Amino acid sequence: MPPRIVTVRQNILKANDHTAAENRAAFRAAGVRAINLVSSPGAGKTALLERTLRDLGSELRLAVAVGDLATENDAARLRQWGAQAEQIVTGTVCHLDAAMVQGVLPRFDLSALDVLLLENVGNLVCPSSYDLGEAARAVLISTTEGEDKPLKYPTMFNTADVVVITKMDLADAVEFDRALCRENIDRARPGVPVIELSSKRGTGLDAWSAFVRGERF
Amino acid sequence: MHEASIALSLIDVAREVLREHGAARARAVTVRVGQWSSVVPEALEAAFPACAEGTPLEGAHLSIVRVPGVGECPNHGPVELDVTRGLRCPLCDAPTPTLLQGDELELDELELT
Ligand SMILES: [Zn+2]
Repeated sequence: MPPRIVTVRQNILKANDHTAAENRAAFRAAGVRAINLVSSPGAGKTALLERTLRDLGSELRLAVAVGDLATENDAARLRQWGAQAEQIVTGTVCHLDAAMVQGVLPRFDLSALDVLLLENVGNLVCPSSYDLGEAARAVLISTTEGEDKPLKYPTMFNTADVVVITKMDLADAVEFDRALCRENIDRARPGVPVIELSSKRGTGLDAWSAFVRGERF
Repeated sequence: MHEASIALSLIDVAREVLREHGAARARAVTVRVGQWSSVVPEALEAAFPACAEGTPLEGAHLSIVRVPGVGECPNHGPVELDVTRGLRCPLCDAPTPTLLQGDELELDELELT
C-alpha cells in the first residue's frame, strides 16, 4: 500500500487540557479557587506562600500542593503554618501537569477549602505549556533576577493573570529598575496587573491578599 | 526542558490517529510549533527519536513548522511580531494583546505506512 498523508491538526497537549478541564470542574463544584504559582527557582514562591498562610490562614481555608523535583522540604516548611501541604514529586519532569494535580486531589477535602495554592516547579519555561485547571495564574519575578526576564520568557508572562515582583526589600541594593521591569512586563503581557511586594517586610501584601481571595486589587 | 514530555504527548496523539486509520506505523510526522508556545524546536527534534523508540513512530522523520507570532495592531491590523519586543506592534509599538497565531503546538500531518 502506498503511503498516505493524513492531516491531523490536533493540539499535542489535548490530553493535558482535557484533564485540566476535569480539575477545573472539580474546583468549581467544590467552590475552590485554585491558583497556579510559577517562577524561576529562588524567586520566593515558598516565602510568599508562608506569608500567605500566616496572613490569611485565619480568614480563608487554604491548602497547598507543591511540585518539587525530589525533596519534600517546601511542603514541610509550609505545614508549620497549620495548613495542609502535599508534595507532588515530579521526578525529572520540570513542571506540574494536570494529571499530577489530579493525582494529588484525593488527599484534599476540597469541600473544606476556599483556596488551593499550586506551587509549580521553579522554572520559567515549561510550566507555561501546561494548564492545571487553575482559576488564575500568578507569575513571580524577583527584583534580583533582572528587568529583562519578561522579554526573555515571554510565553510564561503571556499566560499570567497577575505578575508579582517579589523581594522589593532588596530593590535598592540590587539597583532594580522598577519602571523598566514594569515596561517589559507590559510588553510581554499588555495590561496585566502587577503587584510589588516583600514577603519579608510584609509590604504590598494587601493587593496580593485581594488576588488570593479573587477580589479586585 | 519539557520537550521530552511534549514528544511523548505527540506520540500519544499520533498513535491514536494511527489506530483510527488502521495504520501500523508512521514514517513521517509534521508538527506546528508557534513562536509563543514555549517549545524550543531544536530541543523537540533532539528529544523525539529516543521517545519514539519502541513505538509506531520509531524512525519516523520529524518536521517542525515554525509559526511566527501574529498580533492585531489597532493601527496596522495583523502584524508579525518580534518575540524580543513582546506583544507590541513592530511598526508603531502599540500593544497587541491578542495573538492571532503563534501559540500553537499541533500535530499537523502524519505519513502512514
Ligand atoms: Zn502598529
